[in-house]
Amino acid sequence: MTKKSKGGKEDKKAIETKSKSVSGKSQKQKKPVEKEVEKEVKEEEELIQESGTDSDYDGDSLSGSLNSDDFNSDIFESEDDVTQGGTEEEDGGDGESSQDELLVHEGSIDNEDGDDGSEQIDSDNNEEEDGSDEGSDRDEAVEESDSSEDEVAPRNTVGDVPLKWYEDEKHIGYDITGKKITKKERQDKLDSFLASMDDSKNWRKIIDDYNDEEVELTKEESKMVRRLLKGKAPHADFDPYADYVDWFKWTDAIHPLSSAPEPKRRFIPSIWEAKKVVKLVRGIRMGLIKVAKPEEEPEEGPVPYLLWEPASTSDQKNKNLTYIPPPKLKLPGHEESYNPSLEYIPTEEEKASYELMFEEDRPKLIPTRFTSLRSIPAYGNALKESFERCLDLYLCPRIRKKRINIDPESLKPKLPSRKDLRPYPNSCYLEYKGHTGAVTSISTDSSGQWIASGSTDGSVRIWEVETGRCLKVWQFDEAIKFVAWNPLSSLPVLAIAMGRDLFFLNTELGNDEEQEVIKEMFHSGNIPEPEASVAAIVTWLQDELYGGIKIRHFKNISSIDWHRKGDYLSTVMASGETRGVVLHQLSKKKTQRLPFKIRGLPVCTLFHPSLSYIFVATRKDVRVYNLLKTGLATKKLETGMREISSMAIHPGGDNLIVGSKEGKMCWFDMDLSSKPYKTLKNHPKDITNVAVHRSYPLFASCSEDSTAYVFHGKVYNDLNQNPLIVPLEILRGHSIKGGVLDCKFHPRQPWLFTAGADSIIKLYCH
Amino acid sequence: MDVDGEDVSRRLHVKFVTKLDSPFKVPVNSVAIPSNVTRLGLSSIVNSIIQSDNPEWKTEPFDFLIDGELIRMSLEEFLLAKGISAERTLEIEYIRAVAPRKEEEPSLHDDWVSAVNGSSPRFILTGCYDGLGRVWSSAGSCSHILEGHSGAISSVAVVNSKDAETVTVATASKDRTLRLFKFDADESVDSSTRVTAYKILRGHKASVQSVSAQKSGDMVCSSSWDCTINLWNTNQSTSEGESVPVKKRKGNNQADESQSEGEAVTTLVGHTQCVSSVVWPEHDVIYSASWDHSVRRWDVETGKDSLNLFCGKALNTVDVGGEGSALIAAGGSDPILRVWDPRKPGTSAPVFQFSSHSSWISACKWHRSSWYHLLSASYDGKIMLWDLRTAWPLSIIETHNDKVLSADWWKGENVISGGADSNLRISSGIAIS
Repeated sequence: MTKKSKGGKEDKKAIETKSKSVSGKSQKQKKPVEKEVEKEVKEEEELIQESGTDSDYDGDSLSGSLNSDDFNSDIFESEDDVTQGGTEEEDGGDGESSQDELLVHEGSIDNEDGDDGSEQIDSDNNEEEDGSDEGSDRDEAVEESDSSEDEVAPRNTVGDVPLKWYEDEKHIGYDITGKKITKKERQDKLDSFLASMDDSKNWRKIIDDYNDEEVELTKEESKMVRRLLKGKAPHADFDPYADYVDWFKWTDAIHPLSSAPEPKRRFIPSIWEAKKVVKLVRGIRMGLIKVAKPEEEPEEGPVPYLLWEPASTSDQKNKNLTYIPPPKLKLPGHEESYNPSLEYIPTEEEKASYELMFEEDRPKLIPTRFTSLRSIPAYGNALKESFERCLDLYLCPRIRKKRINIDPESLKPKLPSRKDLRPYPNSCYLEYKGHTGAVTSISTDSSGQWIASGSTDGSVRIWEVETGRCLKVWQFDEAIKFVAWNPLSSLPVLAIAMGRDLFFLNTELGNDEEQEVIKEMFHSGNIPEPEASVAAIVTWLQDELYGGIKIRHFKNISSIDWHRKGDYLSTVMASGETRGVVLHQLSKKKTQRLPFKIRGLPVCTLFHPSLSYIFVATRKDVRVYNLLKTGLATKKLETGMREISSMAIHPGGDNLIVGSKEGKMCWFDMDLSSKPYKTLKNHPKDITNVAVHRSYPLFASCSEDSTAYVFHGKVYNDLNQNPLIVPLEILRGHSIKGGVLDCKFHPRQPWLFTAGADSIIKLYCH
Repeated sequence: MDVDGEDVSRRLHVKFVTKLDSPFKVPVNSVAIPSNVTRLGLSSIVNSIIQSDNPEWKTEPFDFLIDGELIRMSLEEFLLAKGISAERTLEIEYIRAVAPRKEEEPSLHDDWVSAVNGSSPRFILTGCYDGLGRVWSSAGSCSHILEGHSGAISSVAVVNSKDAETVTVATASKDRTLRLFKFDADESVDSSTRVTAYKILRGHKASVQSVSAQKSGDMVCSSSWDCTINLWNTNQSTSEGESVPVKKRKGNNQADESQSEGEAVTTLVGHTQCVSSVVWPEHDVIYSASWDHSVRRWDVETGKDSLNLFCGKALNTVDVGGEGSALIAAGGSDPILRVWDPRKPGTSAPVFQFSSHSSWISACKWHRSSWYHLLSASYDGKIMLWDLRTAWPLSIIETHNDKVLSADWWKGENVISGGADSNLRISSGIAIS
């Protein structure tokens, strides 16, 4: 195609010259100039005729002349014979306008007649003078009409130079052959004026300085000038808003534009597209791209709606989520009438009482009576209220606060109600008073009839639980650190730790046979010689004061614990390795070390309630040792606490409670993990002791913050079920100073004894 | 009902009736009284009516009943609360107010008074933590001292006071024994006579908490910390070979020819914890209360418990009385006195609960003749008199300044009590018809 278009361009130039020749020829035929108008009309007719013949020739030219063939290739309609006629006719219609254009050139060409050079050219082209090209020629002219470049070449060839350069010369320039163009004689003004007076058409004449000639404008030209002055299209019949004619037929043609075979790429699937599809599919699958479901077209016909539905509910709500329905106003009542019944109108006293009320409480509207609508005054508060309304609008927040509506109750873990977990200790009815110093330790008799207590005043007391009576008092020199009742009911012996000494005291509460057994046991004569391994650690002595046994240790005792069988007692001293914990056997009056090394300083020990294990707590960890085997700990429990203060074991033996000095308490389920099952942080101060009830699912902790907490701690036989821990009660009552130093459960009742630094022991009952 | 004016409250027509004897009787006339009077107002009205007939009348507090309910608020409120119509003439029954009118001199002991018994009108029996039982013929005069126990006495019971000559009493002690004493109650002496036990009952393995005697006086039962109830024979005869002379063992300076030792006839086993209280109201029925939160009724013949009431609290005391001697009252480790009616089928919920105390209840006793009255003693130092017809205590005796450990009725119109302030106190002049 590019080749063709090039050729077409060359052709165009040729056509231009042709058109010149055509116009030139027509003007040659019709002279003189004065009868131009008529001549032009004639010419038009000719042209129309020519164009009529043009269609006839077209068929020939297709086959014959190369020129016309090229043209046709440029113009669409020439390809289709069927439409040819119609389009040609339209062209014919347009002929007039193109004619006008040509006429413009004519003006300039007219005067060329005299020139020889131009004639030559004309003569060159005249041989080809043929109507066959006229139609297409004119089309070209229409197309080319905008360009001033391709207009008829001027006679003068000096170019676009200022004419004043030639003012003093006799010539005004040179023609195409290089000869000087001499200036014409100018009519003087008078002559020209006279001429203008004679000739009515003189006003149409203009002097062309460049070519040094006079040009007379035709009527059409003057019209055109006028139109141009008005800013319109130069040709009257040019419709700038003509309908667009879509020349291209979009219906499929029978024959393709190109006979080239379809390229291969049209038949193989596009890799790029496949990639794109995979990407989309993946996006849809992963939910990144939401595929809009095809909307179901609403059924035709009017949509029914609820006639009496309140306006606020349906539409606005759905449209806008943040829609806040306005508050509903009360419907006006009788009192708001302009002429209410008399009973609505307040009396003077009532009005006076309104004055006494706060402004907010005052009724907004005081019913008043008017005889007619005319007499109702303007609303008094109108200005004020509109001002307030504006203020409201101005000051109201524009952003709706987003509130999360979560019921705080729902965030709590679901625990059974405290009521369902009864009985548990909750109120204090009995106090055991008599000590003069802080009560450091208490211990309950296995039957629950008595408790023993030790105090910093050096006294050990035994109390009757049910009445609060102090039955026995032993006075020692040192502050009592620990008291522990022998777990055997048949052996009412009390172990008392103070300073470096451990005492075994006969409480004399057993029956006669038991008393004899104890007396025999405590008899001074039969203390065997200590073994060499423990000689440095402990010394067994007879206590003269109260007839008991005294065991002197090499360090201060920090904790003691009876074995469940009531024969062995472990004492803990702040010493490392194997010397920190020793076991005393009461029946044989023997002391032995633990058959293993303990890492770190032991804090307290605890015997397993049913198996031969011992729990040894160091400052941070609890280790479980098998007493029957020497060697390493069977288990190490990591508390994650800074300093362990106390331990208590669940009677089942699988759950251990550890209290720490930072107020934390850990529940270890030893079947579950070596890490705490639950860590409870309740006390703001050090936990001094923890206790577990022997039969009820209760455990407790007491602290220096002078409170004791009671928890429900249920252990299930089902191994899949974790222990249930529910905090039950905070027991207060001890004075703030010093706190609660010890707590013990009653062995049979759900009661808790607490020993306070305020020298009182309290019993909390259910 | 007539309205006199706005300032005067409504008036009610009432008729005062009474079952009391002549000096207390008022003419059976209808009287118009204002409706806002309380018990005090009613009492003064009745007193003034009596005084109008009998000028030497001394003012006496009365209590008033309408349809068997004691009035404890203003008459108007009472009628409203009970839904009684004020249109007709009201019949108000009045009784003498149940309140001690006199406080006897305290009888000082050497230690806490742990047990008192007033079942005999002739004397008061007390047990003390110093291990001695004491017999008081009146306030401040101790006639006999019962000695022998090595531990604190926890409970005392009068076994047989029918025959005028000698009286048999039983004491239970924390030294795991019971002792039976005989003495002559009418013996008037200036200084108290020391009495030793004629029989020692051994067999309990732990402290004996309570003792109670059969009506006939042939047997006593005792309860103990060893979770059992033992039944003992009281007779001195050794016919069944149960009693063994113990001269050898008690080889003291005392002449103990008559002292013998007894063993338990039967042991009632069933309680799982300390049996804190027993009563033996009928020939073959024993009631017991225990720290295992139950009240049981035992059939002596079979040795089985025929009733088991679960209470939920550890119990310290039980007594049977009231209507038909069938109501069980028990108190324990909480401030609520509960009354059960075992005749009520299908339920073990208490029919009455009295909760004005503020600490453990240590004793409760039904009045021996009245169906409605009972007393309770508590560790808060108060003794309260209750009437089943009202939920408020009739009167509160606050003579003790420490725990009250035991209390009983004496001679029908006295309340005797012993406590941790080592005193036996007698509040007399309680009018129970």
